[in-house]
Amino acid sequence: MVTSFTSSISMQPRLSATTTTRFGLQKPVSVFNTNLTLRPRSMPARLAISCAAKQETVEKVSEIVKKQLSLSQDQKVTAGTKFTDLGADSLDTVEIVMGLEEEFGITMAEERAKEIATVQQAAELIEELVLEKTT
Amino acid sequence: MAAPFTLRKIGVPPNSANLTEARRRVFDFFRASCRSIPTIMDIYNLQDVVAPSQLRFAISAQIRNNAHITDPKVIDLLLFKGMEELTDIVDHAKQRHHIIGQYVVGEGLVQNTGSKDQGKSDFLKNFYTSNYF
Repeated sequence: MVTSFTSSISMQPRLSATTTTRFGLQKPVSVFNTNLTLRPRSMPARLAISCAAKQETVEKVSEIVKKQLSLSQDQKVTAGTKFTDLGADSLDTVEIVMGLEEEFGITMAEERAKEIATVQQAAELIEELVLEKTT
Repeated sequence: MAAPFTLRKIGVPPNSANLTEARRRVFDFFRASCRSIPTIMDIYNLQDVVAPSQLRFAISAQIRNNAHITDPKVIDLLLFKGMEELTDIVDHAKQRHHIIGQYVVGEGLVQNTGSKDQGKSDFLKNFYTSNYF
């Protein structure tokens, strides 16, 4: 009796843990006593702002913005993009904020919501409110 | 989930002094109506019919319709009528087919049956939409 076992050996391709954009990623250097960096950290000019919000939050916000303003999928929406640059008027901004409220289950106070002008600010405010809600 | 939003019925506020205040009231009204959307969907069982984002779009389209107005008093009156409509809807004073016909399908169900009078006269089309043309 020959029992044939079909075993599939799947080799998982090794995926890099870091996704496309990581701000301020420093190459690991072996330091003993001093902070001697062997290679200078290259910082492109447009990544000068440090992203305080999580990348996935920014992603979700960008998705909602794109859907709201009916933008094509390959339109570049980064953390620093202003809503008005994408062709949104003030009512569109309020609508985007409402969409974010629904998506994340939070309620934004009017004064804070008024200050939102970029994707970055929206993501930061969202994270703050989500944190408040869970604690 | 954040605390459910309840529409508080306040008396008629005094007229807005300038365009900025009228603008602020428009956004407040829009926020109030958007926050009432979950209640509305619950009351009229619209879960399978429409998504909240579509209702938001319908509301903003109606507001955008009057975006060209600059007189604060006219804006106040439009807001009053809008608030009245919103209160009626939230109070379940309207019925499901009203909501679907007015906000989900668009301006009247006549739009959807347009294929029936394709190529017919413009007179009839204008006649269906209003008395004055």
